[in-house]
Amino acid sequence: MNTSHQRWLLEQLPQWERDGLLTADAARTLRERHAVDDSQPGLGQIIMGALGALLIGTGLIAVIGYNWDDFSRPVRLLFAFLPLLATQLFSFRVLQRGAAAAWVRETAALLQALATGACIALVSQIYNLGGEWPDFLFWWMLLCLPLAWVLRSHAVAIFYLVGIAIWSLNQAEHGKPWHDSPLMYPLLLLGLLPYWPGWKGKVPLSITVRWVMTISAILGLCSAAVFMSAYREDYYSYRDDTFVWLWTLTAAVFALFPLNQDGMDEPTRCKPQVVLGSLWLLGYGLAATFRDVNDDIIRGASHALKLPWCWGLLAVLVVFMLLASARRRWALLAIASVALLPLIALPFVHGKGEYSDSLLTWLATLHLSAVGITLIVLDFTGRRSAPRLGAALLSVLILARMADSEFSLLAKGITFIIVGSAFLAFNLLMSRLHRRPTPAIA
Amino acid sequence: MKTLPLLIFAIAALAQWAAPLSQIWTHEQVLTKGTLIKLKCSAPDPYDPLRGRFLAVRPEQSEVSIPLETKFGPGQRVYATLTTGADGLSTVSSLSPTPPASGEFIRLTINFSSGEKAWINWPFDRFYINEKLAPEADKWFAENIRGDNGIIAEVRVLNGRAVLADLSLDGKPFREILKERVK
Repeated sequence: MNTSHQRWLLEQLPQWERDGLLTADAARTLRERHAVDDSQPGLGQIIMGALGALLIGTGLIAVIGYNWDDFSRPVRLLFAFLPLLATQLFSFRVLQRGAAAAWVRETAALLQALATGACIALVSQIYNLGGEWPDFLFWWMLLCLPLAWVLRSHAVAIFYLVGIAIWSLNQAEHGKPWHDSPLMYPLLLLGLLPYWPGWKGKVPLSITVRWVMTISAILGLCSAAVFMSAYREDYYSYRDDTFVWLWTLTAAVFALFPLNQDGMDEPTRCKPQVVLGSLWLLGYGLAATFRDVNDDIIRGASHALKLPWCWGLLAVLVVFMLLASARRRWALLAIASVALLPLIALPFVHGKGEYSDSLLTWLATLHLSAVGITLIVLDFTGRRSAPRLGAALLSVLILARMADSEFSLLAKGITFIIVGSAFLAFNLLMSRLHRRPTPAIA
Repeated sequence: MKTLPLLIFAIAALAQWAAPLSQIWTHEQVLTKGTLIKLKCSAPDPYDPLRGRFLAVRPEQSEVSIPLETKFGPGQRVYATLTTGADGLSTVSSLSPTPPASGEFIRLTINFSSGEKAWINWPFDRFYINEKLAPEADKWFAENIRGDNGIIAEVRVLNGRAVLADLSLDGKPFREILKERVK
């Protein structure tokens, strides 16, 4: 239950007590259980604080950008350091007061983060320093990171996550040393460890921060996969077939990321890593059912297995799979297993040169059918699952096979109608059976 | 007030000062103690949204002859030995992976190398200018960059570090020329 739901509940309690719906004891229990922690910033507070700080910070950078040519170097340096000092004193005051309002903490942290960037930029301007903006961004983000901690600033955490994602995307360019490449991204993400899913915090993280964290991690780790798939013959190039499988392994790692019991109990929409990871895996699995892409998938897996990054991902995936088994996250295990399909097909086609046979197509079709059926059966046996997703997967599989078959248009049309009707009927059946909110995929 | 957050805050605040201060210290050392060298330039004019207007300074020399057996990779850090000609302009005469024992040198990176040639990235590439002077600077640059004398980058060099100190034309500082032009 998020803060706005809790507030609504607390507002209703007096009326419910008066109407005799709740006893005073029950109302007190509910008040204690769903107490709103006002020290945590609401979305509105973050936006207002961030907007104010951003306007001031951007204005500062623009003033600095004017380049005050008439002043001497020391005076211009003073311009750079004064705003930094002022924002540091403001943050210190906020920290000293302890229980400052959330928007004040957010504003102080973001202002200080922007003043730090402005200071470095002005020093670069005064000394005509060359260098690339990603280097500037990297150091700026590192200098901002502690503010997300000490001032408990979600705005700076989001700023940091966006910054390191942009940096990683830019560093995917070939030929860079590892310490200046997206391979650094996991270390940078480690800086916000308590923001990771599954971390037992005092208060649950806002959905916004979770989504930003997931999207940042996707961009950072996918950049690392692209960087690792670069190869050099006469010139540098990237193997797209290779990094697509690395992305799929990353998606499986995301979907199976270990969670505590509270995290598993949350609805699926609160777990963006599960939503996005599963969507990619199912999309990849469906693509693998088409014969045209079989060669690319097998070749990609074959190349990827020569990369240490791939073995690292596989090792993490195996550990996460074991943990997921222990936690009985069967539905997600079924979906994540799609990432391992090329590994199963590889020994049978290895050494044949062109992998034109349809082994992977049939393997992927059978596997996805099994995943679809598993998702439905799990629900019928009272376990956590997503039966509608299973039914949708089976329907899409039938349609995909019909699409690339030689059947007449009439036969295809009738099949489409039957599948559509069966899907709607299943949906209706599930609604009647459940009469409760859709259970979460753990 | 808890001690740990305060301690982290103090370290962060110090780091936020230390990063620009270390840059200032290094560059002030080069500007005050470094040797002045002059490089002939060719350049266009871009804009940096974060740091304002600047002239993209590109020394004319972009390639250096290297022995055939020497191999430099892209991005490799090397030391360029500088030789000053009769006209007072400096050029890179050789590249080596270690600092030379004598003479002036600059630390720079290799763009790429092929056969007996290496293409270099200079450690400075921009000269920031006042926004008000920028349009006039554009014109001045375009008018003079292809002249016989050309625009000269005045660079201070110390222990391999280089700081772009000024631009000049016929020995006259760039800012003075611009201020006269906008009067």
